[in-house]
Amino acid sequence: MRREINRRTFLKYSAAVGVTTGLSGFPTVLRSQPKEILIGSIQPVTGVIADVGIGDRRANQLAVDEINAKGGIKSLGGAKLKLLLADCEAKEEVGRSEAERLIKEGAVCLTGPFLSGVAIAIGTLCEARGIPFVIDVAAADAVTQKGFKYTFRCFPTSSTLIRNIGEYLGQIVKEKKVNIKRIAVTNAGDLFGRLQGKAFVDFVKAKKLSFDAEIVEHIEYPLGVQDLSSEVAKIKAAKPDILCPVARPGDAKLLIRELYKQRVELLGIVGPGSPGWYEPEFIKDMGLLADFVMDNAPWPNPRSPKYKEINERFAKLYPGKYLDGNSGYGYLAVMVIADALERAKSTNPDGLVEALRKANYKDNPMVGGPVQFTPNGDNANAATALLQVLKGDVKVMLPKEYAEASYVFPQPPLWKRGT
Amino acid sequence: MNLALVVQLIIGGFLMGGVYSLIALGLSLIFGVLRVINFAHGEMMIWGMYIAYTILLLTGIDPFFSLVISAGALFILGYMVQRIVVNRIIEFPEAMQVIAMIGTALIFENGARLIWGPDYRSPASRFALSSIWIGKIMIDFPRLLAFLIAILIAALVFLFLKYTDTGKAIRSSADNRLGALLVGTDVDRVYAICFGIGTACVGAAGALLVPLMPLSPHIGPPFTMVSFIIVILGGMGSLIGAVVGGLIVGVAESVATIFLPSSLKQIVSFSLMVAILLLKPKGLFGR
Repeated sequence: MRREINRRTFLKYSAAVGVTTGLSGFPTVLRSQPKEILIGSIQPVTGVIADVGIGDRRANQLAVDEINAKGGIKSLGGAKLKLLLADCEAKEEVGRSEAERLIKEGAVCLTGPFLSGVAIAIGTLCEARGIPFVIDVAAADAVTQKGFKYTFRCFPTSSTLIRNIGEYLGQIVKEKKVNIKRIAVTNAGDLFGRLQGKAFVDFVKAKKLSFDAEIVEHIEYPLGVQDLSSEVAKIKAAKPDILCPVARPGDAKLLIRELYKQRVELLGIVGPGSPGWYEPEFIKDMGLLADFVMDNAPWPNPRSPKYKEINERFAKLYPGKYLDGNSGYGYLAVMVIADALERAKSTNPDGLVEALRKANYKDNPMVGGPVQFTPNGDNANAATALLQVLKGDVKVMLPKEYAEASYVFPQPPLWKRGT
Repeated sequence: MNLALVVQLIIGGFLMGGVYSLIALGLSLIFGVLRVINFAHGEMMIWGMYIAYTILLLTGIDPFFSLVISAGALFILGYMVQRIVVNRIIEFPEAMQVIAMIGTALIFENGARLIWGPDYRSPASRFALSSIWIGKIMIDFPRLLAFLIAILIAALVFLFLKYTDTGKAIRSSADNRLGALLVGTDVDRVYAICFGIGTACVGAAGALLVPLMPLSPHIGPPFTMVSFIIVILGGMGSLIGAVVGGLIVGVAESVATIFLPSSLKQIVSFSLMVAILLLKPKGLFGR
């Protein structure tokens, strides 16, 4: 059988050839540029904590874009960075398999993953594969206590958070001359929530606060809870002076509305360290109820010009958002990786780990000192700030050297603020 | 034990149970007639929530009024899902139906994420923060309103099924599909309407929940689960069973927090389900 080439087949084939050439481009031109350096970003961008996960991913990308705009990694011939994206769905096993995929795709270093449980899963894998893992956010102490050699963490640990909230509470009691005797604690039931809640309860029970106080109620509820009315009824029955909630963005809103509706009398709401209390959605949706809430959290340094600059860029890209403690560390982790690549002058994992060990990253936009890692991989100079929402703005109140305003305590009752 | 606390918990749970009832009613209706379990039930509720939320943001109309639009939109959505997906799998074994329904659920959940974003939203509505006090007992006003409207809608669905021609066609198709076909009922259309009514119930329930809880695209599955428990408790396909089961589960979960850690309170509803399956497998009102 003879195949004739008529006008249609000719057009079809020539179009196909055109498309293929267009897609594959001209390889010779590409080859003259240095190879892209792949960094894997594993964040919980879907699932119960997707809002924070997406914020962290965007911040990772913000840092990558900054490095690339400034000419890439100079010691590697101006090689550009590229972020490989992965979604851990807030699940340990997915985090591990996604990390495996990124390593196979050629990632030289991983970052992420906001959830401590996922961080341990990825850290274990990175140890086996010999790939450095620079955690942006994940606070549970256990993450860096497994003897990992390839895992580094920029974020403060749970024990730093607990130690600091102890100091801040002591300072509040001393400066405002208030009596805090009865403390109620709530926490979400994920790994961090549970550990953080328990660590704070243990801290108070061990009388490590500078004043005498007891835990009158400790409530744990599942991550992604839909209704907290019975929990708040229990808190009310315990008659606490302050409430110390370890929350997540969804339950923070539920909690504060229930506290309002049930008229729970409190001197204040002081988070020992958790998200939920400083996100733009919380402040926008809760309005006057968001005011005066305090939280102890890693936070951008409001006096840092660097922070102002990157926050401006972030807010321009994502209107209505700002860099907070989580996305701030998302940015920082990638900058630390880039700094290590610059000094290591190679993408060899062991060279990179060596460079990370010697890190001394001074251009830190967050509250705290230069990023330096301890032998077990924690950031020695990570710190937290005591935040308070005032007139719809998150302000750093303590430590004084970073303070933007002076804090209000006791906080006015939720139901006496008008609507 | 603190008596005021117990009363508070019972009232709160009972009112929440009303909304649960409405959600479960939709699931039970769909199962009773089509013999298909709608695993996308909770995810469809999210769409009802987001539609009410969007209307609230754009026009300021309270979800308690815009629930009509939520229910209408979900009716259309349900009708289409039945025609496009469910109708093709209706003769398949259950395991295969489950896969298609879970796939639908994923599409709904991630569709909502694409359109409305991943953040938890809790829009300020007029009634969101109002409450009524009787002595030391607080009655959450939006919850009370949600309860009353949910029960009203459930009653309307009952009346519809009992007295209208379409309602009768739905019941006859449920009783005997072949018989209904033989007397000339357009069973496919009846099924689609029935699915639509089921999803309209859950759409209305979604709107009622907007003032009560922050909404986010992924909060659906727990509601699918709880309505599933309720339907088993009340009897598969029994509408009165769905209403009573909803109230029981609402109160049980709420009161459970007195003696169980909050994170374990679902044990109570699951235990109820297991007990019912062991003792009265057809459910409280099953035939």
